[in-house]
Amino acid sequence: MRIKRGTLKNRRHKKYLKEAKGYRGSRGSLYRSAREGVEKAHSHAYRDRRRKKREFRKLWITRINAGARQHGLSYSEFMTGLRRMDVQMNRKVLADMAVRDKSGFAKLAEMAKTKV
Amino acid sequence: MKSFRTYNLTPETRKRNWHVVDAEGEILGRLATRIAAILRGKDKPEFTPHVDSGDFVIVVNADKIKTTGRKLDKKIYYRHTGYPGGLKETSLRTLLQHKPERAIYYAVKGMLPKNKLSKAQLKKLKVYAGSEHPHQAQQPRTLQP
Repeated sequence: MRIKRGTLKNRRHKKYLKEAKGYRGSRGSLYRSAREGVEKAHSHAYRDRRRKKREFRKLWITRINAGARQHGLSYSEFMTGLRRMDVQMNRKVLADMAVRDKSGFAKLAEMAKTKV
Repeated sequence: MKSFRTYNLTPETRKRNWHVVDAEGEILGRLATRIAAILRGKDKPEFTPHVDSGDFVIVVNADKIKTTGRKLDKKIYYRHTGYPGGLKETSLRTLLQHKPERAIYYAVKGMLPKNKLSKAQLKKLKVYAGSEHPHQAQQPRTLQP
């Protein structure tokens, strides 16, 4: 029997159209536009999974800086102080303390001040 | 240990305070950077980039702002009417005479990021030429220099 490619093609198209659901205009309904959109979305997702790490670190540093400045220290002074005390907390934890555990953060800042 | 998520401020959980600052004798740009940071919320540990998390800032005595050098005459504000040859210019000196609030407003506007939030953030800036302001009900705190 002769094998034709219709089913496979149909399956492939459905795969892309399913993923493009909710896209605006023809990108959600026409295969060619949908595929472009999906591929672009994938490449952005790949890129931004890597960027996510940098962006969160940036955000934590901004927050630690704001917290440290409330205690009269700059970010770099604060971090220098912590390093000299051999504090092993990372920036994620420190930023969280600046928001949720203000008294603990204040203690860290006071300790860091003595080492600057 | 179970991993935890970075804190995320939302419009429902944010606290927005009011600050009042006396511009008399302050340097225009130096004051504007501090105001811009407060409007954005970068002075708070809760800072969240995609939420307008900053405080309100009231500026009084905006007409008594100072600049260094010869900026009173050398600093020119340009705008275009849209017609041919419609480029208008105003020096800082005339701006301070006619619309004294605008100098600080423009300076802060230029220092805010150009994004969806900047309009809302700029709206939280209230500039007044005299020493009076109508926001006593908000109980603004005086901004430390």
